[in-house]
Amino acid sequence: MGEAASTKFNDLYRTSSQYRLWSFSPEGLTALRRKTHELAIARASQYATKSNSYDGRGGAAVDCLTAEECLRLVQRYLDQVRTTSDHFKWPVPVKATAVQYLARFYLSNSPLTYPPKEIYKTVLFLACKTEATHMTLSEYARRISTPADEVLAPEYKVMQALRFTLDVRQPYRGLKGVLMELLNLAEGMVGEVEGVETGGAKALQAEMLALEMPPKTAQTMWRVKEAGKLESKDLTDRINAAYSAARTILDGPALLTDAYFLFTPSQILLAALHLADEPLTSFYLRTKLPLDSDLRPKVLTTIAACAELLASFSGSQILSKDERAALEQKLEGCRDLSTRDLVGSHAVAKRGGDGGEEAEEKARKKKAAREKHLKEGDDLFGPSLNGKG
Amino acid sequence: MSRIAPPKVMPVYKRDPRTGVVQSQDDVCPVCKSARYMNPSLRFLVNPECYHKMCESCVDRMFSHGPAACPIKGCGRTLRKHRFREQTFEDIKVEREVDIRKKVGATFNRREEDFETLLAYNDYLNDVEDITFNLINGIDLEETNKKFEAYTRAHGKEIEENAQMAVQERQSFSAAQKLERQQARERREAARREEEEEKREVEENRRDVLNRLASGADAETVAKEGQRVQLKKRMDRQAATERQRQLQAAEDAHSECNNKFVIKGLKTKQKPAPEALVDPFGGLRLVDSYFTLQDDYIWEGIQEARKDVKQTAGGYDVRDYAHRSLVAAFSGLGVFVADEITQRDQLAQKDGVVGEDVGLKDAEMIHAP
Repeated sequence: MGEAASTKFNDLYRTSSQYRLWSFSPEGLTALRRKTHELAIARASQYATKSNSYDGRGGAAVDCLTAEECLRLVQRYLDQVRTTSDHFKWPVPVKATAVQYLARFYLSNSPLTYPPKEIYKTVLFLACKTEATHMTLSEYARRISTPADEVLAPEYKVMQALRFTLDVRQPYRGLKGVLMELLNLAEGMVGEVEGVETGGAKALQAEMLALEMPPKTAQTMWRVKEAGKLESKDLTDRINAAYSAARTILDGPALLTDAYFLFTPSQILLAALHLADEPLTSFYLRTKLPLDSDLRPKVLTTIAACAELLASFSGSQILSKDERAALEQKLEGCRDLSTRDLVGSHAVAKRGGDGGEEAEEKARKKKAAREKHLKEGDDLFGPSLNGKG
Repeated sequence: MSRIAPPKVMPVYKRDPRTGVVQSQDDVCPVCKSARYMNPSLRFLVNPECYHKMCESCVDRMFSHGPAACPIKGCGRTLRKHRFREQTFEDIKVEREVDIRKKVGATFNRREEDFETLLAYNDYLNDVEDITFNLINGIDLEETNKKFEAYTRAHGKEIEENAQMAVQERQSFSAAQKLERQQARERREAARREEEEEKREVEENRRDVLNRLASGADAETVAKEGQRVQLKKRMDRQAATERQRQLQAAEDAHSECNNKFVIKGLKTKQKPAPEALVDPFGGLRLVDSYFTLQDDYIWEGIQEARKDVKQTAGGYDVRDYAHRSLVAAFSGLGVFVADEITQRDQLAQKDGVVGEDVGLKDAEMIHAP
């Protein structure tokens, strides 16, 4: 019963769009990015040659951004989104969702075509709408000193790139659940899981108290004060410290790496906890996974792999301000020119299509006719009678 | 000069006290033209062959020597004397229709129990009515008669069985009614006898009291005793009748159907089995894996909300939050993305069919300008 039921339980995640559309194997992910980049380069060079023939610029092949540089630029802007969301003091789901939207956008589009500088504000606005912390457009635009048009213009492109799937499964709520369970375990209340042999609540509590100290590499702030026996209050402190450390990890490396594409939120949060306080996490997993199940080793290796990915990230990898400026300068020279005027193309699309010239003419004529009518209305004898005017 | 319409002569209607037939004074036999004026006991008879009416004397005269042709001009059907009868309905058309219906009903006498569904029974009734209608109005007579014959031939045995069942039912019904009437009579008798008994006893008692008083006993004691005796007798009698009634009821319970008054044709209605409750999930149940929800979590984040009236008044249970958090914590724990996605991609490549959610396809979605 255990295996079948847990399969059904895991199917809950398998039905989500995050699993179906936005989960990849590492090789798949790199292949996708490479393909996107190649296509973008092909486009950009196409336009470059066209513009060269117009401008008469140097016929040498334009120096394009490499895939590596594109990736780092995108990462820089992922961080920028995080900072901006904190500036607005929005709850953490908004931040995480926005970052993930941007990351997903740049799986199928390249910075060569859509520089992230023009996209990230739109993405953040979209995320605030999706995660129910809506702020009016005018307010938003004012607070980040950008014209409202610029915020809205790329929105449809973003939606298309997201394939209209706006749900991002987050690990934060799950982490709170784990915290609740750990605190209960420390107090001697346990919810027994079927198939797992434990000694009962008291035994577990004793085991918790006897856990070894977190290793030096652990990210938790908790350190044992005096070399004495632990009390339950110390245990609570330990758990809370582990939680906040894990939370910090989820806030930073988890968002800025490819963790969301390669692992499920459940695995991500357990990996973060693993990094924070390894003995505690191992103990916890021992109470969750039956020792004889064949999923257990696999789950543990997956969590370890995710923890490795999260640990390998460091804040110094993000571009600094100068590096970013330099890259953007380079980008200017080689970007796809057809997508330069996003606001304009958005306005055209809204008005309903090509033939912008004629439509403008008509609009102008109508406006003139209306003004004339208004003016005549103010005449002493009213407007003319024959219907025209 | 204006023409005044001549006054209409209203025929005088009278009801024959014996037969109840409405007669008017200018009833005239179409054959011999004799009127009631001449012959006050004029009676008209009708033959179901052609529904032409004629007076009794004409019938006697013409058909006593065997079958003869109908004397009405234009109708030459051979009529027999024994088929002539009194008309039951004022309207001859109604008479004809009733006869046809009787005939059809004698043949098509299936019951509702013989059919599996109500729809089938209604269809059968509909067909029977079609046939009847055709016969009455003379539409497609040949075809209808053929159908009739066919049915009679095919189901002759069943028709007979049904007819016999009907006869038996009628008999048992009348027998049951008779029994019921008899019982009512007996009960009336018993009641009357009781009353008489009571009266007699009262009389006796009074006489007794008087005698005793006369023989010089104490008036009060005699009176009291007299009353006591009377009361006792009454109680005894009541107890006796009660016992009698109970016995009767017990007997009745044993000998059921024959004594009870049955309404003919009632089917025993079986209570329909109670409808099973509709399960909105169709039997699908989601069982928590990797955790079991506990009643209370001591984490201070939810402790306040648990007690806060503003949260709980609407029926919100903090355990929903806990459950949701735990589901989010563990759902997907056993999903190994790398393996499953590679497997899916390989399958897709093998099939050659690109499913709607193969990751690589998204790379093609480099937008149009």
